[in-house]
Amino acid sequence: MTAPVIEIKGLSKFFGNIIALKDVSFEVFKGEVTALLGDNGAGKSTLIKTLSGVWKRDEGEIIIDGKVVDFSSPRDAAAAGIGTVYQDLALQPLMSVTRNFFLGREMSKGLFLDFETMDRITREEMAKIGIDVADPSQPIGTMSGGQRQTLAIARAIYFGAKILILDEPTSALGQKQQLEVLRTIKRVKDRGDLAIIFITHNDLHAKLIGDRFAFLNRGKVIASGDRDSIDLSNIRELMAGGQELANLEQEFAQQAATA
Amino acid sequence: MVRQDERIRQTNVLERIMARPELGSIFGLVTIVIAFMLLTSSSGTFQAMFMSPTGIQGWVELAAFVGILAIAASLLMIAGEFDLSMGANIAFSGHTFALMVMNGVPIPIAIGVTFFLLALLGIFMGMIVVRTGLPSFIVTLGFWFASRGFAVFLGQALEKQSRLSIRDFVRPPRGSDAADPTWIDNIFAFTQGFFGLEKIEGLGWLSTLKFDAEVYYFIIILIITSFVLLRTKYGNWIFASGGDPVAARAVGVPVARVKVSLFVFSTCMAGLLGMVTVLSSGASDPKAGDFRELHAIAAAVIGGCALTGGYGSVIGAVFGAFIFAIASQGIIYVPFFDNNLFRVILGTLILAAALLNQLLRNRVMKG
Repeated sequence: MTAPVIEIKGLSKFFGNIIALKDVSFEVFKGEVTALLGDNGAGKSTLIKTLSGVWKRDEGEIIIDGKVVDFSSPRDAAAAGIGTVYQDLALQPLMSVTRNFFLGREMSKGLFLDFETMDRITREEMAKIGIDVADPSQPIGTMSGGQRQTLAIARAIYFGAKILILDEPTSALGQKQQLEVLRTIKRVKDRGDLAIIFITHNDLHAKLIGDRFAFLNRGKVIASGDRDSIDLSNIRELMAGGQELANLEQEFAQQAATA
Repeated sequence: MVRQDERIRQTNVLERIMARPELGSIFGLVTIVIAFMLLTSSSGTFQAMFMSPTGIQGWVELAAFVGILAIAASLLMIAGEFDLSMGANIAFSGHTFALMVMNGVPIPIAIGVTFFLLALLGIFMGMIVVRTGLPSFIVTLGFWFASRGFAVFLGQALEKQSRLSIRDFVRPPRGSDAADPTWIDNIFAFTQGFFGLEKIEGLGWLSTLKFDAEVYYFIIILIITSFVLLRTKYGNWIFASGGDPVAARAVGVPVARVKVSLFVFSTCMAGLLGMVTVLSSGASDPKAGDFRELHAIAAAVIGGCALTGGYGSVIGAVFGAFIFAIASQGIIYVPFFDNNLFRVILGTLILAAALLNQLLRNRVMKG
């Protein structure tokens, strides 16, 4: 296997006396999906925000293509090739597909927007990851949740993301839409030139699409590895906190015994 | 392999038209024109209102005046903000301009300084809104009181009068029987003609149809702003700033700068109207522009701008301004109609338009 595109080594983040992340390490390879699992409050959001330059890390290293990087703003992270697709997607529901795709990075011909080129690129980029946009001038309020997710992903890729961070892309969707998004992620993965960090709390989705796994619990990675080295049947237990859950089980058993 | 999602409906031409924000106001305009044509026909004043130069000038000039403000109001509303101080700023600009002229400042310099002061005012209001996060409704309400109050105070303190006449300080504008108009009257305050164009031959009664300065400014401003809003980067940012400012910022749109610049546009449009009024009437009235901010906002709402931002058009706002103007002038031509009913009509129109727009928007968005 080649070197990882991005490697996180001993990353820590503190907020005052609260330890949000402690000694988090994992790596992501080109053409692979690293699924980052964890329950609410496990530190997933903190991790995403630290990786995308919203917050500065306190300890540890982020290594992209062998170089230690330092982000002081989301702009830095984007320039280094990190494309974050947040849960709320940063989309404008009343604006058209094309306008959303190019918002903040519009193409102009002289003074005026070049809709011809922008419409074409939007349609092409969306088609590349599997959605046929018949009319890029329709407002995205008319699109399904899965399609909006796809739009946000296509936009991140087109504007130079090498490492795609997907923040719970399936969590706010209906079942059919979830599958569509998973299909999109698979298609992006099969391009082979992008590394994907897939954040989720759905173990089935992670299992379906992940190549590597890291489990976060209370700010720490409690287990990690690839498909072979990790026992996937344990996923649900790891998600719920692994050892802690076992301890609780024991506690209940003792209570039952003494009662 | 590209899959066509089964949930994407093919939208037809009709639905595309229904998605336009100005649709409701087109219905409104057609309705109001037909209504007043019928009303004036039955009272025998149809010719006077719709077929005579004075009649047409009456409502076109009013529509232009309100329309210029409505354009500024609609841009701000699309960006998610209000400017309630527009009407007051008309008086403020008129008074500062008149005071300068009365004290010997040459007119071109007085125009420049007035625009500069109003731009500063716009930056100031805009900065308060974007920095503090206070609703612009409250911030500009403060200036609604303060601008007019300050203007009247200045007039009283410096000239001991509240209505400032500049007749003794400049030559009267075209149209009066005094000396030749100055060049500044020709570009800034011409009344009843454009650059000396008095009569267009061969158009029958239309050949004597001439408009005040604001009508020509209105047309120019409408064309420019409409292009900016729909076809430029900056226009895209205006929609995004009002639609979802957080999402807009996340993709690099300078939301604060967009909003402040629109406040500046709004104060400068009020400044333009204030000065045009003073130059063409020869005096600055402390009541100039009273209630105009509400007329402009009404026009923008009738024209399909969403109060929550992110949706609307300047063309719609202009249709709204015409509805307002035709209704308010038309009532004069219908003798059996009490003048006070005008406000009832206007109020009903605003509600009907808002409801219709809401209905259309929901239909389009939910598919």
